[in-house]
Amino acid sequence: MIDINPQRILVRYNVKVEKEMTPEEVAEKLFPVEENIREVAKAVFEGDEDEVVESIQNAINNGLDPLNLINNALMVGMEIVSTLYDDGVLYLPDVIISAQAMIEGIEYCKERSGQEHEYKGKIVSYVVEGDIHDIGKKIVTVLLRAKGYEVVDLGKDVCVEEVIAAVKREKPIMLTGTSLMTTTMVGFKDVNSRLLESDINVPVVCGGGAVTQDFVSQYELGLYCEEASDVPKIADAIINGLNIGQLRKEFHKH
Amino acid sequence: MSLKRYNKMAYDDFEDMVFGHSIHPVKTGFDLEIGAGYTSAEVNYAPRPAAGESKEKLIAEYQKITTDILQRMVQVGFPSVVLETEHVQQMTVNPSWGAEIAHEQKTIMEEFYDEYGIKCALRHTPADIRGGKESLDLRGDSYGLLLESFEEVASNGADMLSIESLGGKSVFDSSILRNDITGVLFSIGILGTLDVEFIWEDISKIAKKHDVVAAGDTDCSQANTAMFIAGGLLDRKLAHTLAVVARAVSAPRSLAAYEAGAIGPGKDCGYENTIIKAISGVPISQEGKGSTCAHSDLMGNLAMQCCDLWSNESVEYRGEFGGTSVQCWGETLSYDCSMMNTAIEAGYAKVFRDVFMVSDRYRDPQAFILAFDNAYRIGESIVKDGNDIYLRAKNAAIEACNIVDEGSRGQLELSRFEKASLAKAIKSLHSLTDEKDVFIEENMNKFSTMECFRPENYGY
Repeated sequence: MIDINPQRILVRYNVKVEKEMTPEEVAEKLFPVEENIREVAKAVFEGDEDEVVESIQNAINNGLDPLNLINNALMVGMEIVSTLYDDGVLYLPDVIISAQAMIEGIEYCKERSGQEHEYKGKIVSYVVEGDIHDIGKKIVTVLLRAKGYEVVDLGKDVCVEEVIAAVKREKPIMLTGTSLMTTTMVGFKDVNSRLLESDINVPVVCGGGAVTQDFVSQYELGLYCEEASDVPKIADAIINGLNIGQLRKEFHKH
Repeated sequence: MSLKRYNKMAYDDFEDMVFGHSIHPVKTGFDLEIGAGYTSAEVNYAPRPAAGESKEKLIAEYQKITTDILQRMVQVGFPSVVLETEHVQQMTVNPSWGAEIAHEQKTIMEEFYDEYGIKCALRHTPADIRGGKESLDLRGDSYGLLLESFEEVASNGADMLSIESLGGKSVFDSSILRNDITGVLFSIGILGTLDVEFIWEDISKIAKKHDVVAAGDTDCSQANTAMFIAGGLLDRKLAHTLAVVARAVSAPRSLAAYEAGAIGPGKDCGYENTIIKAISGVPISQEGKGSTCAHSDLMGNLAMQCCDLWSNESVEYRGEFGGTSVQCWGETLSYDCSMMNTAIEAGYAKVFRDVFMVSDRYRDPQAFILAFDNAYRIGESIVKDGNDIYLRAKNAAIEACNIVDEGSRGQLELSRFEKASLAKAIKSLHSLTDEKDVFIEENMNKFSTMECFRPENYGY
């Protein structure tokens, strides 16, 4: 068996560009100063659900308002996680674990306050009819929740009728659909047509294995998304007033 | 169950493994022999979206695809080819659709064989339709329909039967996104293996009944999911060292198909196939640089090292400057095979094998563990406890981690993050019980709270 020195054959760019500081060291500089808030944010960063609830309890016992803790502590912790993920310091499972802890915390805060939390916006997500591959949708859903959006998750193998009914009922700012196969992704076409028939101009963000920018661009409401991490950015852009044309200009990469 | 467990390696030495040769070649289709001293392209394709609108359109699409591929093969002078039809869902849920398509494809292939003598065979891979909207239903009504689909394609022209089975998928998806090594081991090593055993006993019976080949399974739904989420070098979705564990555990899982009667060639997207070839001696299909039409790859050359069929994974049927997509990719694959076959004829096969392997060996830890010498080591760790589906999966995971750890002290560069992730994986794996029943019970309990997990899918 032959062997070589790989130095002139390939470059491990991930090793080359790795940040000097550990995620914990970077996060330490970003945590809020106020002790109660800091503990909640740290618990979210560490993804420890029990610790999140405990630190919220402590904060409430110290006189902080549970509903305020959502935006001022839980979301702050999650924002640190999201920032570190966007900066290439954290990995996706870190975001998912933290988001789960944050969601637990939000539920606890709502329970303690007896009031509803106001989300940044509502989004409906689904996997097209005939397709049961939903890991991409799960990732998108968590990333959106991590950024403060309420997600109505319709699940997998969802028929067009159900999608349209959900959009009419929930009035989301956007719809996200995923599909793995060429023959199931035509479901996007039907959703697009049915929404237009009902004069609903909600952007339909499409992604998944076989889906391409060319395919999605054929449909008036279609917006192609290659990276799950772009979906919350698209939602933010919609809230900031971008229309489909502007969104395509911003997020269509090819 | 009449399972034939592997307790020793088919090859005495990893140096004996090479492309185009297997210990147990498979004769199939029109004069084709796989793993008998030459490699062949295996062309894989997907119909255009609009073709799914009706049975007639779908049949016409596959007629065009089949004709296009064979025409290009004879135009450029390639002696053999395999076509793989991975079913779109409509073809499996309507078994007669799959049957008609298999029949039409085989008729065209026979015409080319009769006229030109091109050696060829047809693999059909029904879609695993056992997934419901709420959860997997692996042994319910849809299983009967799936077996009917196998019956129909086997009796209407398919030479080889395969599937990308879904057992363990829901637990895996949840585990991999939470860095849960134990969950990955449970989902692939236990649940996946139990499902593969279950389904392949039936597929093997169908193959025998119709005198076709029970070819093999792949852990596409789990280990490849991990590989795709892990992505390229700069993606930060999943530690590549965690994807290494998923891949290692997928080997004993996919091996179960051969223990239940399959004889190869293993399916193209089973990157675990080199390990399986080392253990069982069956021929294998592989994909690598020729599958960039479907996904990026960190082991594009290495994957050729021991292949018997060389595949492109899947490409949508459409026009390219050089012909249709299936013609272009079929030609590219076949030129690769021509090069490998020339190396075999000239006595340089092992030199070529080594060059393919070493060009990617250090590209990524996922490639490193699949280099044939390391794949062989993982195989040895599996057969050491071949009768225990838990221990062999755990062994494979630990051995893969050890291989990466040792490699990192040599030419395999790891980032600090990858090293930390690897250390964490090793620690988790070493903390696990050695008792299969204890492990299964613990994890059945752990995942019983997951809404979409149904133990009865696995006979519990």
